[in-house]
Amino acid sequence: MNDALKMQISAFVDGELPENESELLLRRLSQDATLRTQVSQYLRIGRLMRREREVPRMDELRKRIAAALGEQPDEIPAAPERSRRRLLKPAAGVAIAASVAIVALVGLRQAEIPGVGEPSARAAASQPSTERVAGYTEPSPEEALRSRPGDMLTQYYLSHGATSAELGANGILTRLVTLELREGELVEVVAQPPGAEMPSPAPGDTEPPGEDGSEER
Amino acid sequence: MQRGEYRMNCTGCKTESQWLLAVFLLVTATSASARDRGSPNDWLDRMSAAVATTDYEGTVIRRQNGEAQALKVVHKVIDGVVNEKVITQEGNGLEIIRIGNEVHCILPDKKSVLIEQWNDRSTLFSTLPSSDVSFGSEYDLSVVREERVAGRPTVLLAIRPHDSFRFGHRIWLDRETAFPLRTELVDNDGQLIEQFKFADINLESSVSQQALEPSINLDNFVWYTDPVRAETAEVETNWVCDDLPPGFRVISTRHEQLPGADAPVTHIVYGDGLATVSVFIAENEDEEIARRSNVGVSSSFSLESGDYQITAVGEVPAETVQRIASSMRLR
Repeated sequence: MNDALKMQISAFVDGELPENESELLLRRLSQDATLRTQVSQYLRIGRLMRREREVPRMDELRKRIAAALGEQPDEIPAAPERSRRRLLKPAAGVAIAASVAIVALVGLRQAEIPGVGEPSARAAASQPSTERVAGYTEPSPEEALRSRPGDMLTQYYLSHGATSAELGANGILTRLVTLELREGELVEVVAQPPGAEMPSPAPGDTEPPGEDGSEER
Repeated sequence: MQRGEYRMNCTGCKTESQWLLAVFLLVTATSASARDRGSPNDWLDRMSAAVATTDYEGTVIRRQNGEAQALKVVHKVIDGVVNEKVITQEGNGLEIIRIGNEVHCILPDKKSVLIEQWNDRSTLFSTLPSSDVSFGSEYDLSVVREERVAGRPTVLLAIRPHDSFRFGHRIWLDRETAFPLRTELVDNDGQLIEQFKFADINLESSVSQQALEPSINLDNFVWYTDPVRAETAEVETNWVCDDLPPGFRVISTRHEQLPGADAPVTHIVYGDGLATVSVFIAENEDEEIARRSNVGVSSSFSLESGDYQITAVGEVPAETVQRIASSMRLR
């Protein structure tokens, strides 16, 4: 089963697949028994992976489908809460621990530079990012220790942020990332000499508020 | 053996297919009503116009990695110049004031103001996808359903990638004005990566000039200018990516002099019409670069190749930056 089909299936289950595509998918499934088996297996795995999150409206759907088919709701494939947890534990434990290490260190680093006194609180508040998709290997603890953005990497993030904003992609996301990093970079910026002109003022712009405060002490 | 197996499979298939069929019928029957108000592209067009012209005031909740952050946002266009104020409601109380291209980042806890020049496109919402973004064949765009956000009826637009090399977007547009009231970035399992959502918004009333001014007194604050970031020059390069994920192509190639670096780095930008990935190629320096890292929704992957350090950065899944960085070659 290829990625495109998986996307379609998951869009469909979320109620987000356009009508014409739903029909195509339905036709395809009705003609291919192997595919049907694969799909139902994929749906089961998907629900296991989602753990805390049930597919939206799945409960409702399950009941109505059961009613439509004249079956007991239990016959509809679904992973009960308890067995889901048990199944997940051994597989996910290690990966999550590694993720926590990375997030904590990144948080620490960013909080440290500006001299804010509570890095640990911030780091502790960060939740582990969800494990990434297949094809991406979780870093070893040694790697995790090195995986905070260093000076050069910070410059790369900033440069990427500036470029992708220029290019008009994902600006809303990029800008806030950039700000987080810039804040950490404050120590490096050159103080504006008192009374100096604003850097390359945009002609015709309104005077920026608060600029008066920057005149000769 | 074959017969038994066949029968077993078939019994399974019957239940599964009945189940799937029923799901299909239910979903298709209930989702038609949301689509009677123009094509997804029409909605994106209307959204672009709305963010360019609407004055608004409200509270945005940004949610990421299980953390939520509230931002107060005021936005007004005066004589064609964008005026915007964003204040974080927790933590250090960072305040961002924008007048045209000049941006003041006010850091109350450090009694500092950082002055930056931002380009036209980096206002809070101005760079959401518009219909002139070339979606190519890597994403599907669809109107999904209607829902309420911030007390207003909205239309949910979904931008779904066809593979796991990029993130999907969901955008809830105000039904009346097409203003984006909620946006989400999701991975290919449908897991939320980042969410912006207006908890409250005022789209109607005129925003006062007062509301755009700093909320705190800036006497005795130290003002900083943006460090000279990078001297850039468009160049030709012999670096190519052997195994670029489908749909990505080169958008620009530059040499950049970054602060703290001895020599210029080569910076190649790849894009698929929506997501962008930067690849930086530097001659090996002393500083060791983390192999993998995340900042916000961005991931990076770095490796050494001969005399070079190659680093890919982008708002894409970690496997995408890993694949791109790992397949850079000198032609």
